[in-house]
Amino acid sequence: MTTQVASASVEQSFVPRRPRSEVFRRVLVYLALAGVAILFFAPFIYTILTSFKTIPDSVNVTLMPHPWTTEAWKQIWTNYDFKTFFKNSIFLAVVVTLANVFLAGLGGYAFARLRFPGRELLFLLVLGTLMVPDQLRLIPVFVMLTNWHLIGNFSGYILINLVTATNLFFMRQYFLTIPKDFEEAAKLDGAGYFKTFWRIMLPLALPAISAITILQFQGTWNDFFWPLILFGQGSTHLYTIQLGLAELQFTYSTLWPQIMAGSVIAILPILLIFLVFQRYFISGVVSSGVKG
Amino acid sequence: MATATEAIKIPRRDSVLAARLRETAWGYAFVALPIAVFGLFFIYPFIYAIYISFFHWGILGKQSSAGWSNYHTVLHDPVFHTALKNIAEYTLAVVPLTMALGLSLALIINAKIRGRPFFRSAFYFPSLASSVAITTIALYLFSANGVFNQIIGSNTPWFTTASTAIWAIAGLNAWTTSGTVMLFYLAALQAIPDDVYEAAAVDNTSTWRTFWKITFPLLRPAHFFVLVIFGVGALKLFDQAFIVSGGAGGPNYATTTPVLYIYREAFHSFEFGIAAAAGVVYFIIIFALTVVQRLTVGRQQAA
Repeated sequence: MTTQVASASVEQSFVPRRPRSEVFRRVLVYLALAGVAILFFAPFIYTILTSFKTIPDSVNVTLMPHPWTTEAWKQIWTNYDFKTFFKNSIFLAVVVTLANVFLAGLGGYAFARLRFPGRELLFLLVLGTLMVPDQLRLIPVFVMLTNWHLIGNFSGYILINLVTATNLFFMRQYFLTIPKDFEEAAKLDGAGYFKTFWRIMLPLALPAISAITILQFQGTWNDFFWPLILFGQGSTHLYTIQLGLAELQFTYSTLWPQIMAGSVIAILPILLIFLVFQRYFISGVVSSGVKG
Repeated sequence: MATATEAIKIPRRDSVLAARLRETAWGYAFVALPIAVFGLFFIYPFIYAIYISFFHWGILGKQSSAGWSNYHTVLHDPVFHTALKNIAEYTLAVVPLTMALGLSLALIINAKIRGRPFFRSAFYFPSLASSVAITTIALYLFSANGVFNQIIGSNTPWFTTASTAIWAIAGLNAWTTSGTVMLFYLAALQAIPDDVYEAAAVDNTSTWRTFWKITFPLLRPAHFFVLVIFGVGALKLFDQAFIVSGGAGGPNYATTTPVLYIYREAFHSFEFGIAAAAGVVYFIIIFALTVVQRLTVGRQQAA
């Protein structure tokens, strides 16, 4: 930073024209920034405002609702049962995320630190799962869960999502970076393997845990494909928020205020979590992407 | 002295072995559940899918042996051909568009601007928001009498017109995913050492020229990384196509993607055998593309 400033001032003394082009460049950057910011914010703002409009008002291209009404919100929450969909989504996202943190942590730790015969082979199997796309396992998984009577309730969905290879891999990579001194100290204290994992290693891996917690919660919350396949055929009491929103939009395609209110509900929890934990989101994405 | 060490050695060897066994047992215990999940719901289904693809298989289960007929049906189905054409067009449009948009965002953010963390977050957020909600919002904004049309004075429902639907989805997804691409480019941009630019500044090279002659080539690893990751991702398009067409892949099959085709064969026609065969065929296509991509990209990166 300081070297840049120094070199810039040195330059200025040699090249007097530079400041003007620098000003021009900055104006250009801020203009571009403003344009792009509008492109990114306007749709969301418009969505929120539309959710407070009446149905006839929703086809007017006016920004502000006239009159303001919370009718759409009340309707979808109770009449269209978004209350239930919301609860279902929260339940699935919390259970799947907790299972992933625990099992990816446990497996990741074993693959990073414990030595046992066949470890490398089993790890290849973990990586191999990344090769199997959803559209290929869709049919067999559906057939299996149907045969086991795990369709019609949440257990099948939870079972197939207990842990992902991506999360396990991410945890393993993080455990590999923690110095071994901590475990050796624990071992000298006579702590067993599980206690060492639970009391020492898991807390040390907090940054990695935060990243997979947030990304997994977001992934399950937004998941549309598997809920559609496992719950989409049955009654609506198992619907997640994404399924409920899709159904609302298919059935009542002109109830724009209601549909927009539903969209806000489908996005809002992730927005709130993002606002609080954005640094974990960003570091998680970049590091998992670079390593993966 | 010698007898003393031997006396210690014997119990120690024993405990080393016991410790090894203990470590092995705990190792297996720790990985047991994850391995069970991966084996049961990933590896086994892979084989099971191939098995199902050789049977006439309905909602109630296996009916009769089908030989290669499911594969024959898929490979000669004009709808499957349309699905492949759609996804090819979509991918060829969305990947360069996303990269260009993502790189532009990264360059804006990387220019020393005020409120950089805020804008970075704002541009990244659409990548995280629910695809169903984003598509639903887009349907509203781009509907026949939506905001977009009223501004440009048209009445084309962009997402539900056969000739525009897949391009509209490409535009939408370029917009949503550009934030993630931006993060990768930002990381790459920040890894470029400052002295490279200082040399250019001394030579009084223009910003435009500096970008094309220095920055863009130095970003090569990032270009390839993004190309590989998002290229494969694009081939799996499903949610957006499903939402804009009410799950039907229309109008006139314009939004039928291979994954949507598989879904419809299974859950609308209840032809699980054909759906499985389509899944296998599409897996082979993606696998072949990945191999070709790795070979060419690998060679280019080495050069």
